[in-house]
Amino acid sequence: MTQIELRGVQKFFGAVQVIKDLNLKISDNEFIVLLGQSGCGKTTTLRAIAGLETIDEGDILIDGKPVQHLKAADRDIAMVFQSFSLYPHMSVYENIAFPLRATRKSKAEIDSEVRSVAKTLQISDLLGKKPSALSGGDMQRVAIGRALVRRPKAMLMDEPIGALDAKLREEMRAEIKRLHIKQGSTTIYVTHDQIEAMSLADRIVIMHEGVLQQVGTPDEVYSRPANLFVAQFVGSPVMNVTDAAVAEKASSVSVTVGDAATGFEFPSTLLSKLNVHAGGGLALGIRPEGVLIRREAADGFMAVETQIVEPLGSFDIVDLKVGSNMLRARTKSGFISGPGEKVFARIDPTQAHFFDKASGKSLEVRL
Amino acid sequence: MPEEEGSPSGILVSGRYSLASVALTNLDPASRAAARGWSDLTIRNMFIIPTLAFLIVFNIFPLIYSLGYSFTNFAANRSEPWQFVGLQNYRELLSDDHIWSNFIITAKYVIVSVAGQMIVGFGLALLLNRSFPMKGLITTLLLLPMMMSAAVVGLFWQLLYSPSWGPINYAFGLGDFAWLSNPDSALYAVAITDIWMWSPFVMLLSLAGLSAVPQHLYEAAAIDRAGRWYTFTRITLPLVSPILLIALIFRTMEAFKTFDIAYTMTTQPTAELLAIRLYKQAFQQWDTGKSCALAYIVLIMVLAITNLYVKYLNRVKER
Repeated sequence: MTQIELRGVQKFFGAVQVIKDLNLKISDNEFIVLLGQSGCGKTTTLRAIAGLETIDEGDILIDGKPVQHLKAADRDIAMVFQSFSLYPHMSVYENIAFPLRATRKSKAEIDSEVRSVAKTLQISDLLGKKPSALSGGDMQRVAIGRALVRRPKAMLMDEPIGALDAKLREEMRAEIKRLHIKQGSTTIYVTHDQIEAMSLADRIVIMHEGVLQQVGTPDEVYSRPANLFVAQFVGSPVMNVTDAAVAEKASSVSVTVGDAATGFEFPSTLLSKLNVHAGGGLALGIRPEGVLIRREAADGFMAVETQIVEPLGSFDIVDLKVGSNMLRARTKSGFISGPGEKVFARIDPTQAHFFDKASGKSLEVRL
Repeated sequence: MPEEEGSPSGILVSGRYSLASVALTNLDPASRAAARGWSDLTIRNMFIIPTLAFLIVFNIFPLIYSLGYSFTNFAANRSEPWQFVGLQNYRELLSDDHIWSNFIITAKYVIVSVAGQMIVGFGLALLLNRSFPMKGLITTLLLLPMMMSAAVVGLFWQLLYSPSWGPINYAFGLGDFAWLSNPDSALYAVAITDIWMWSPFVMLLSLAGLSAVPQHLYEAAAIDRAGRWYTFTRITLPLVSPILLIALIFRTMEAFKTFDIAYTMTTQPTAELLAIRLYKQAFQQWDTGKSCALAYIVLIMVLAITNLYVKYLNRVKER
């Protein structure tokens, strides 16, 4: 049972505040991913939890006990570093045994623990090798083994697969997930890669400039982003965000994107939902899969011209010119042959997001 | 002639590369050297030839010449013709108890002095390997002894050891203890001076070694719940040991050759190091042939010891 809680954590590097009033509760066995661009404070947060970085204000609680004054060694937390941080002069066996030897476990106990972890990670045949003789993936397996072997209260991972190539990253991602399901320890994982975050996390914590933006399940942050930053940071290809104007029509509502001549049709309930948030400008967010295209004219579809087509294998991303704005749509691969084609597009109202332009906050409109 | 695969065109001369033309193509055509018609090769030779000439005249020639002398009864201050005596000089030296006692004195000196320098130097490096105010100034001050002339250091420490008014006896309450004229303490007094003078050298190398240990390994060790001592013995020490061994090699070689400090500080026979013995034999007794033989014995010993170290160093590096 390991719960971790951050209460009002603040951290400064000189005059720069890297963590701003961070509050977060992580429950037992949960896999939390801290997601954000580089420099957003996610690694500093992780290091603060590990005890490698001091905090200037607030509390870090592990199982209800404040630990911010404890040294890293006394927090009983394991960590996997991006640079692997294997001890270069020790064999794989010695590397994995290091945390057990440091706490003076018996030789027999160390041996059985090391071999069992090596078996789990399928690195038994590497035990006699030096880290310099290993591939990147194997090095990371050893680093994970060293963290797992002592059965820590919690596992912290700082971009553990960031240094690996794309194929290996995918493999290791699955392996980390499998391990977490098997071992079940509270895990905090830092990454800037939203695909990694979506695929691994029970809950994703999105940070930007030291401020927590949203905490939620992968589905929540994807389909109900709390603000414009989250909306554009999560999801690939990126969500379309444009200025929008709403006008009432006879039986529906027209949402005009940017300076386009005509608007997209929305159900009339939109107006009442938006009225609650009367205020400044409006931004419309729509993921490429929410922009629907067909070749023939139909009710509610607007004529548009295609620009660039990006074939991505299983689907294409097509840029559509709407006024002076671009809307990116996701289509079946090969559906659009190239630029300059006339097609008809519509926005799926159920997938549309509306944001207050001034604050960037979501208006929580669900149609 | 068919052009060889992968060969840059234009510098293929009769089917093989001309070194000079390769070098010529590398030189920046706008440079002054190019304007004077110099090639890279010319410039390279301008640096190498004087060095080679210097080495041959002042190192290799005397080395070989003195090897020849070591088999003769040559005396540099006499004009009489010398005679070839074969291995007699070596035989006499190796059966001379006096020389053996010099060997033992030198061995004691090397062990005490080098061990002291390694401990003090590495200790200082550990203390300095963190950030604190005025670190640069303090490091520079600590390096000063190493930069002084050995003869000056010897004379200076003679004053410090002075039995009647020396600050060392005063500080330790040793009364009128005569460090340098007491047969039991003279050698150690010289060793202490050598430790004072050369610990900074070990410190400097150790600092370089310590700062090369990646910080993230210490972080990993902290996370792995390793204590200070465990981290020091399992991480710091193994990772700096190659550079410590290099310091050890340098200092052992130097300690073997110690002359100036010991010569200026004491005349005690119990502190007569091999180098002093060699000096006396060569320039006081003018026994040139024999002193050449002694110099060769010392050379072979130093080579043997450093060779052992180098072998060990390579083993450590392979780890």
